[in-house]
Amino acid sequence: MFQRIMRALVETGRAPHYAELARSMHLTVPQGRQLLLDVMQAYPIGWLHPETDYIASFPPLNNLPTQYRVSVRGEQKWFAQCGFEATSVTWLFPGETVRVDAPCLDCGDSVTVEMRDGRITWVDPPGVLGHLNYGFGASRGKNHFL
Amino acid sequence: MNLFRSEEHARRWAQFNPASEEGFIALPELAAFFGTETRRHMLDADYLSAWYPKRAAERRAVLERLGKTSPFWLGTPAPA
Repeated sequence: MFQRIMRALVETGRAPHYAELARSMHLTVPQGRQLLLDVMQAYPIGWLHPETDYIASFPPLNNLPTQYRVSVRGEQKWFAQCGFEATSVTWLFPGETVRVDAPCLDCGDSVTVEMRDGRITWVDPPGVLGHLNYGFGASRGKNHFL
Repeated sequence: MNLFRSEEHARRWAQFNPASEEGFIALPELAAFFGTETRRHMLDADYLSAWYPKRAAERRAVLERLGKTSPFWLGTPAPA
């Protein structure tokens, strides 16, 4: 199921519902739901939208739109989980130029990064950098401002 | 975990955490941090079982190579 979710995100820009996954995997709908819960438990860097069974985040991509818009072949239909994960999306599109556009949270002006097979091929402005606002680890609490 | 136009922009961000002074990372370092071997296998059938479990050790190794060895980057313990 993990790969079905990841590949659906790559192919369509959205994560499938567990009922769709169940059908494609010849499972009952309750079995599909339980398998989704199991997958999300095994992949805790992603998450379901609170109090639902909807996939919100499945890094490096996000089903819930974020400010990190991802374009491939001139088409923008993906979102990265966060600015850090945005630099990992390149590995989902081998041989393609992956463009990430985001507004700077300070001024709203654009931040653009293009990558191809892991290499940074374009950055605008040149000083773009990453910032971790809360440390990693159990004590960081909620994922503020992913 | 955000991208900013520059360090100055990050510092001016209304939600900038004063305790995150060490939270800056250059873009090439970030690409290395999120471009480790396991990341290259996210579309492999066995990613979740074979590659994802290696992710934590791999991330730690990259952070150590980048000199980011503080609890802020390596992970802080859960509050008592």
